[in-house]
This record gives sequence, structure tokens and C-alpha cells, in this order.
Amino acid sequence: MPKSTDRHTHAFSVGHLARRPEAGSLVGLVLVYAFFAIMGGAVFIGAPGWSSWLNIAAEVGIVALPVGLLMIAGELDISVGSVIPASQMTAAIVSGYFGLPILLGIAAGLGVGLMVGYVNGLLVTRTSIPSLIITIGTMFGVMGFTLGFAVLIAGSTSVFLVPDPVTKLILGTFIGGMFNVSIFWWIAFAAVIFFVLHYAPIGNWIFALGGDRDSARNAGIPTAALTIRLYMLSGFAAAFVGILQLMTYQNAQVATGQSFIFNSIMCVVIGGVILTGGSGSVIGIVIGTATFAIVNQGIFFSGLDPNVGSVIIGALLLAAVLSNDGFRALALKYSTKKG
Amino acid sequence: MKLGKILATTAMLTLVAGMASAEGSKIFVIGGKPDDPFWSRVKLGAEHAGKVAEAQGGSVTWLGPQNYDNLGPDAAELIRQAIDQGADAIVGPDWVPEAMDPAFQAVVAAGIPLVIYNAGGIDAADRLGAMNYVGAVDYKSGYAGGEYLGKAGHKNGACVNTLPGAANIEAFCNGFNDGLAAAGGTGSVLQLPATAFGDATAVAQAVRAHLLQNPTIDAMFAIGDQDTNATISGIQQAGKAGSVHVCGMNFNDSILANIQAGSQACAIDQQGYQQGFFAVSILNNFVNYGVTIPTREILTGPGVIDASNVELVIAGVQAGAR
Repeated sequence: MPKSTDRHTHAFSVGHLARRPEAGSLVGLVLVYAFFAIMGGAVFIGAPGWSSWLNIAAEVGIVALPVGLLMIAGELDISVGSVIPASQMTAAIVSGYFGLPILLGIAAGLGVGLMVGYVNGLLVTRTSIPSLIITIGTMFGVMGFTLGFAVLIAGSTSVFLVPDPVTKLILGTFIGGMFNVSIFWWIAFAAVIFFVLHYAPIGNWIFALGGDRDSARNAGIPTAALTIRLYMLSGFAAAFVGILQLMTYQNAQVATGQSFIFNSIMCVVIGGVILTGGSGSVIGIVIGTATFAIVNQGIFFSGLDPNVGSVIIGALLLAAVLSNDGFRALALKYSTKKG
Repeated sequence: MKLGKILATTAMLTLVAGMASAEGSKIFVIGGKPDDPFWSRVKLGAEHAGKVAEAQGGSVTWLGPQNYDNLGPDAAELIRQAIDQGADAIVGPDWVPEAMDPAFQAVVAAGIPLVIYNAGGIDAADRLGAMNYVGAVDYKSGYAGGEYLGKAGHKNGACVNTLPGAANIEAFCNGFNDGLAAAGGTGSVLQLPATAFGDATAVAQAVRAHLLQNPTIDAMFAIGDQDTNATISGIQQAGKAGSVHVCGMNFNDSILANIQAGSQACAIDQQGYQQGFFAVSILNNFVNYGVTIPTREILTGPGVIDASNVELVIAGVQAGAR
């Protein structure tokens, strides 16, 4: 029944499981969770512990998913770090400072993300500059514009917005007083991007793009348009996280968001995506994000020095890359044996 | 002829004396960018004190940098500009001692009365030979928060340090713990990893986890206004609203609303308006009348904002003074 060419089939053999790209990440997740479950005790295993790391995972996860797609396609996006404050500041100025309808503010915030993504995509496809450098450039540019316009228009580096109850409920509430609604948005993003990468034809194009860009173009894939769309998606997702934070904390600041740059890349790499592109999976990115969040939050339940958390994340990152290589070697061995 | 000469000389002397008294004191104030929200309040305080100086025929001139990219050298240049423009007195912050101390030494060498304000502390004033220091002290700001919560009957405190290693943040937290201890409580520091800085969700979740693991904590201190909002969110998510009480550094509209609503106990303000007002007043009175303030180290903060005075603070915000 399971065809060996079908990537989506779930077979119940150890060999097949080990060949999946997220196998190594899953082992990491289980080990990390077990470690903190023992250290953190009942509170960490219960609902307070779950909501604690899920709230963290949701926000970084929404950014990590499209950043992961870009990395599978062989590109990086550093600009997400300043799109988050830019979108929330835009929404807060439009709806909070000028008092215009909240939908307009949200649209303007998301529009900023799409626009930055479009510029990134255009620069990456039209020039031969590496995307790392281009998006570092746009990150600083957007950061400067955000600070400049915030001070120029609102006269302050922090702007407030009190959302109406419906907007607050959809974008910034805590269910049961602890589970942030962002968790459901993360699930929605993951579901859509899972479909795009693993079921829609465009998914194969993304893998092809990261595998070999020139061959992909020769095969008739519209590589430039696809790259631009991927950057717009990551700009949109970062802007969306900015809006979620604005609705939750009702306060936009120009200095927020920088931590998302490295955190999102780490989640993607721990999830088994290879930096050079061409390989990875949405399930892996979700697992990597969960692992990252469990370490980040578990540390506060464990009573260990918080700096130990950073050490563990660093070690996990290296372990993930090493085990990915190991699992890939294993996968290649298995498939050659099968012929 | 002789009479005429005497008359002319007398007239001249009268004119000179009259000019001297009409001139009053030319005071130069070096400060931050005028569009910086904090510095706009310092500037307003300096201008209000300047109204007295103007009534006496003097003036107050604000010198601020265009941006903060090259703060030390730019501010040192502004100090030298003030000397060149014939200042009778100078007020300045000692932000970057390495770059600015030589310029301040030139002020003192020229015999111009100097007051250090906002940054540097009484140590800088003593080192440079300035008349006084006007400003807040980080340690005492934290101390005020700890003392406030301790006196309200809270026993176990935690200071949320989102920037481990920064000297002023360590001073806030040490002050908080000492202030709480003085009122009979004990304090600790919740240190966040560097990956959490500037991320409200990370701060809120760290606070929440810490409270769940340490259920006896009933008091918290946050080092900035955004961190305070995140800390309150973490307390609410831990189901501890009403049983864990928060004080935080600085304030904004949402913090004043929280104090009114009772979800925040107090905010600590370094009261920038006072820094501008008193620094200029001290120098104006000294230049015109030779009167001095023998108290060394004029503290403008901490000012504690709580439910008892929040309405007054809101009125002050509307006037641009807070």
C-alpha cells in the first residue's frame, strides 16, 4: 500500500521513520521534554506548563514557518526582526494615535510586512547580493524608518492602542487565563503552510529552488516570482506577530522584535532544515519550535540558572545539525539498498 | 567742560551698572534632543525656571544634539559652544565622562559656575569641581519600590532583570532588594536570558513560570515601562492578579491607567521636570544674588506614583511636565 515515492505516507516501520527529515528533531523534542518534566515537576507537566511554552512557541513559530520555507528555498530573512515593531507601530499609530478604525490599522500593519517582503524579494531576485546581506540591510532600513516616523508623528517611541473587545478576543486574549489565542493562529499557519509545501505543486518548486536554482528555472519554474512570494509571506507572518503582540499588550514599541531573528532561524535548524536549502519539512519546523520553547520556558520551572537555557539551546542547535547529517546519511543508505 | 566730563562719566557708569543689572544671567543648558519625550519634560522645567531669569533680564538657552549617534563628543562640543557664547552659568549631564570631562574642566577653569544634572551623580560634580548635582540615583529608585511594597506588607519580592550585566539595571535590582529587606521582607532577582530582551511575551511567560514555581512571591519590580506591562500580564496569566503586587520604573499612559485600575501598585519616576527646574534656579540665584544651596546632591527622584496621587500625575502629563 505505501508507495516509496509518496512523501506523505506514514509507515509504521522504524527504518521509514528514521528516514523522515524530522526524525532527529523528534528525538530531541522527546529528550528535552523528558528532562524538563523531571526537573520541573507537576506544574510543568500540567496546563500551566503547557500554556507557558505554547505561548512562546506560537509567536516564534508563526515567524519560523515562512522563514523555514525560505531556508528550504536556499534564502534567509533577517528583516523579520524589524518588521514586527514596524507593523505594530503602524497599526498603533493609525488606530491608536489617529483613532481610525482598527481594521484599517491592522491592514496597514500587515501591508508594511508585505511591502518589506516585496522589496526583499525584488532585491534578492534582481541582484546577485546574498539574501543575508540584503535582509540585514532592509532590517536596518525598516528599523530607522519605524523610529523616525514614530517620533515624527506620535512624538514618542511607544504608542498605545486599546482594541475593541472583538479584536482583542480574536487576536490578543488568553483562553482560560493562560492559553494565548496566538496558539490557534500558529496551528492555522502551520496547516496552510503544510498544505503548500507538501501537497500543492508549489511545494515541489520550493524544494527545487533550494536544490538547484538554475535547473529549477530551466525546468520552467518561475523562480523570481516564487522567491518574491516567499519573502512576502515571511513579511506578512512577521507583521501578523507584531499585530498579535500589539493586541495582547496594547502597546507598540520601536525596540521590540530583534530576538525573533535568531530565535526563528534556530527553531528552523533544530527542526531539521538544512542551511544550504533543498531539504526540510513543516512538521520538523513545528517540532523545532516546540523544542526551542520548551527549553526557554522549562528553565524557569526547573530552578536552573536561566543562562543554562541559552547553553542548552546552543548545544541543541549543534546536535540538530550533526544528527541531521547522520540521519540523512542513514536515509540515503536505506534508499540505495531498496534500489 | 570739567562738569561735563564728570556728568558724562557718571552717565557712563550709570549706564554700565544699569546694563549689568538689566543683563541678568545668561544660562546655557546642555541636554537631550528636544523631541525626546523624557528630555522635553526636562526642557520645560528649565524654561519655567528661565521665566524668573528672564524677568531679571537674563536668559536660558537649550543646547541639544541632533541625534544620539555620537553622544559624548557632540555634547562636549555643545559645552564648548556655551563657553564661547559667553555663558554666565552652565548646566550639563555627565553622560560620557571620558569625552565630556575635559570640556567641563574648561568651564570650571574659565570661572563659570557649573551644575551637573541627570547623569554622573555627586561623584562627577565633586571630581569636576561643579557646584552641585541635580538628578535621580538608580539604586535609590529601586530602593523606593522595594520600600513601598515592603511597607504595604509584602514579604517576598523578585526583581525582573531583562538586561543582566547592565550597571544601572543591577543598581535598580540591588536597591529593590535592599529596600524590601529594610521593610522586613526578602528580595531575589529573576534573571532572564538574553534571548528574551525586548520581547513582551518572553518576559510575561518567564514571570508566570517563576511565580508558579515560587508561590510565596507577592511583590515584583520591573525595570522599565514595557517590562512592567509584560510583568502584569504574566501575573494575570499565573492567576495571581491581586495577590502579587508590582512596582516599575518609569510610566506611560497605560501604566497610569493600570495604577488607577489597581493592577499596578506604584511607578517610580525620576521626575525630569525637576532636574531642569532646579539646576537652572540654583545657577540663576547664584549668579544674580550669590546665594547657594549648601545641600549637596539634590535628588529629583525617586518620585512614587500610586493610587493616591495618580490623578495629579495625569494632570501633569497633560501639562507636559510629567
